[in-house]
Amino acid sequence: MIRKLTYSFFCIFLVLLLVSCKKQEVTLNIGFSGPMTGDSANYGKLMSQAVQIAIDERNELGGIGGQIKLRMIAEDDEGKVDKANLAIEKLINVDHIVGLVGAVFSSCSLAIAPKCEQAQVVMISPSSTHKLLTSLGKYIFRNVLSDESQAKVFAKYVKEKLGYSKIAILNLKNDYSQGLADDFKTQFESDGGKIIAMESGLQGDKDFKTQLTKLWAKQPEAIFIPGYVNEMAQILQQAKDMGIKTHWLAADGFSNPEIFDLAGDLANGVIFSNSPDESSLGNAKKKEFEAKYLKRFKQKPDSFSLNSYDAANILMDAMQFVYNEASPDDQRSANLNPAKIRNYVADLEDYQGVSGKITFLSNRDVLKNVGIFQADHKEFVQQGIYLIKDGQLLEVVE
Amino acid sequence: MISLVLLIGIYFGIYALLALGQNLITGMTGLLSLCQAAFMAIGAYTTAIILTSHHPLPLAELIVIVVFMGSLFGAMIGLPTLRLKGDYLAIASLGFGEIVKNVLLNADKFTGGPMGITHIPSVQLGRILISPYDKSVYLIFVWGFVGVILWGLFRLQRSRFGRALEAIREDEVAASSLGLNTTLYKVVAFMIGAAISALAGMLWAIYNGSVIPQSFDFMLSIMVLCMVVLGGLGNYFAALVGTMVIVIISELPRLLGFSVLIPAQLDQILFGLILVILMIYRPEGLLGRPVSKRNS
Amino acid sequence: MLQHLLNGFTVGSIYALVALGYTLVYGVLKFINFAHGDVLMIGTYIALIVFNFLRTFIEPSIAFIIAILAGMASSALLAVLIERVAYRPLRHAPRLAPLLSAIGLSVILSNTAALIFGTKSQRFEMPFNNTPIHWGNLVVTPYQGLILLTSLTMMVLLHFFIKMTRTGKAMRAVSEKPMVAQLMGIDTDRIIRFTFILGSALGAVAGILVSLDYKVYPTLGSLIGLKAFIAAVIGGIGNISGAMLGGILLGVLETYGVAVLGIPVGYKDSVAFVLLIIILLWRPSGILGSNKREKI
Repeated sequence: MIRKLTYSFFCIFLVLLLVSCKKQEVTLNIGFSGPMTGDSANYGKLMSQAVQIAIDERNELGGIGGQIKLRMIAEDDEGKVDKANLAIEKLINVDHIVGLVGAVFSSCSLAIAPKCEQAQVVMISPSSTHKLLTSLGKYIFRNVLSDESQAKVFAKYVKEKLGYSKIAILNLKNDYSQGLADDFKTQFESDGGKIIAMESGLQGDKDFKTQLTKLWAKQPEAIFIPGYVNEMAQILQQAKDMGIKTHWLAADGFSNPEIFDLAGDLANGVIFSNSPDESSLGNAKKKEFEAKYLKRFKQKPDSFSLNSYDAANILMDAMQFVYNEASPDDQRSANLNPAKIRNYVADLEDYQGVSGKITFLSNRDVLKNVGIFQADHKEFVQQGIYLIKDGQLLEVVE
Repeated sequence: MISLVLLIGIYFGIYALLALGQNLITGMTGLLSLCQAAFMAIGAYTTAIILTSHHPLPLAELIVIVVFMGSLFGAMIGLPTLRLKGDYLAIASLGFGEIVKNVLLNADKFTGGPMGITHIPSVQLGRILISPYDKSVYLIFVWGFVGVILWGLFRLQRSRFGRALEAIREDEVAASSLGLNTTLYKVVAFMIGAAISALAGMLWAIYNGSVIPQSFDFMLSIMVLCMVVLGGLGNYFAALVGTMVIVIISELPRLLGFSVLIPAQLDQILFGLILVILMIYRPEGLLGRPVSKRNS
Repeated sequence: MLQHLLNGFTVGSIYALVALGYTLVYGVLKFINFAHGDVLMIGTYIALIVFNFLRTFIEPSIAFIIAILAGMASSALLAVLIERVAYRPLRHAPRLAPLLSAIGLSVILSNTAALIFGTKSQRFEMPFNNTPIHWGNLVVTPYQGLILLTSLTMMVLLHFFIKMTRTGKAMRAVSEKPMVAQLMGIDTDRIIRFTFILGSALGAVAGILVSLDYKVYPTLGSLIGLKAFIAAVIGGIGNISGAMLGGILLGVLETYGVAVLGIPVGYKDSVAFVLLIIILLWRPSGILGSNKREKI
């Protein structure tokens, strides 16, 4: 029995070596790492589909330099750190990826960032909002609005445009939600508003009645619930069951259209901040992309998918740029200088993406305008595009 | 490719430590405990806090503190719960594991709460830098621990202490009637098992460079139990084999390169299937316990 | 105060219904059916599909009842199948082998569900108008009423079934001493099969009730599974009244711990586990468990 097993493992190992040695046609690989199974599988799925669209579009145009095809290699990290490490190891050393879109969760991104940095692979996370992520290396970028920039604009908007001054917060105990809650609180209070109560729950919780009872007792003008759709839908439902009638505020986690399936009409009227839809500024890419995505996958993309699509496109633009400058030899073998790719991404300014106009700051965080949206009968209606300049909230119009 | 295999070797080593600890507790002493993940978390957080403090300690002192913390928590959890039997002990220890995770998540001041602790630096062993970037060195470092601990455990097994544990496993009442202080032996076994897991946590934290509470959930403890049972309870080599099998079947699709071709769920289904089939055909584990006549 | 009691009771009776599934199986086979949560998840999915299909033709409430029956039936069928394929060959294997087999099955089931039904959470529309009824200070939703009513009925029926009928008597006999029961002419295979049917049908009802509030998703089972299992242990696993008591106790205390005792919400889950440990220290075999010695 044991001997048989040992043999079979040995054979498997041999096969695996053979498979990996097989010569493949020259492609340029873009990696994706995110949860494809487990509790958060849906995030990984939505986002990898967006990357796939971006790559297919580019391949239809002939790939990089009209010569080299692109390939997406998506690996499942199950949202776990150890699996993320294995995934990135494979992506870097077996698939020799040129750039990475991911990881989805901050915990995974934090773990894999040093490995990308060392291997000189440009990593653009479309969804990890942990404050310290981009400080881990020169190759580590993110194009999701950081908690801070999003919460600052939103807090000012709530205070100045909506005119609320007594807000309660119900956040989740994870880095995304907690970060948003803290930054919102800081900004809101420095503008003279009051956070009258703050409660938290755990990601995956189903019952928020206790927290809601406590918050409601303080009579806030509105309740801010930065989080993910599953929990937010629970909160809205339970608040309704408890007879709580108030205004609801949320953040970009709310932009997942799943919310309408989960919360139905209760989602109506919720105001939240997100990457802007800049079609009014002459950028119609978002609408086009959403239509294409819906047609192909029968699902609407969430805002993290928009970021993923942009991240993949930015990476491919960088590859194209470096390819054009490379020597004919390097062009033929698809040998692109990683430092140059990185520099292209770092110098990116005013890139018109589906998630708005993107500029990377010197700390590799993204500078974007913030869109304020209101959910209304299965649609997210944009109320305005804002940015903060010299400590003032400015609306962006043409 | 080599690099991926090296990494799997490193994880194999870290899980092997957890499995060895579990085997001491479950296989040797007969206590079904389910909180290896919690002990690992203790080790990982201790390491993270010490290495990111203003005066990081050298490796030797770090190891001493991690072992101390591990055994301290082993005793804390062991003392009250060890009077429980079988499945009750399993659930109580699982509960402790969840409490530890919960505290890590909520004690923001020390543990960074949901943000965890990042920027954990590498360590120096004499002149050699042990860093995640040099995988072969790290692999040797990890397996150095496995080797030393394996040696220690074998010595332990042949000692008076080891025989006492075996006696407790086989028949606790008889053992205590022969004058063995069964509680003491059980608690010490628990502490040693916990300390080994804490070391695994230390290796994990240094390799990952960051720790976050969600990594140490009860599924990890259950996986470790699977490794030990799959290999065959009560045999340290079997624990290593079980660990290897679990690590390899869960990484098989990635190694073979078809993880991209099939939906990720199929990988998992395959994993479950292999587990079920192996159990049906080798219920006593791949290497079974040498003398196993305990049925019914 | 009364409100919290009511909320706690509602949550608790769901735990109790699921806990019954664990406890029934544990009673006859002495093993933790780790896949129970996933079996009920599949039943819930089937019920959802049936409900959404029928809703267009007939009255929602009738569709809902048919859906529940379909869910129960499919869960039961699945459980029988699993028992035959994955557990029966292991009936005389070492104690931990079936546990591993069950873990493997749990992985298979939840991932198959993800593959077939998708990873998205799906909403189970309430088949009735869920406007809360105010009763003095007390707010009761019809949904809560439905849960309480259904689970209480189920539990009372089960209780009488076990106590009064021939099959119930045979189940008790098998759980007491399978060997003797068999010698007395009881077809133990049939009884064990029946136990699985009963447990998973009850579980499916709980799954459906819960998903009206929690939505339906592939990992639904593991969420309620763990808590329910703890409830079963608190009450004394293997004991039917114990499972009910444990479930309700856990539900009520969880609600009270946060709402009345002022424990920070972050530590809510710790309440359940601390409670578990305290109860086990006080009564090592659960509140109603028989205190007999056993080992791994």
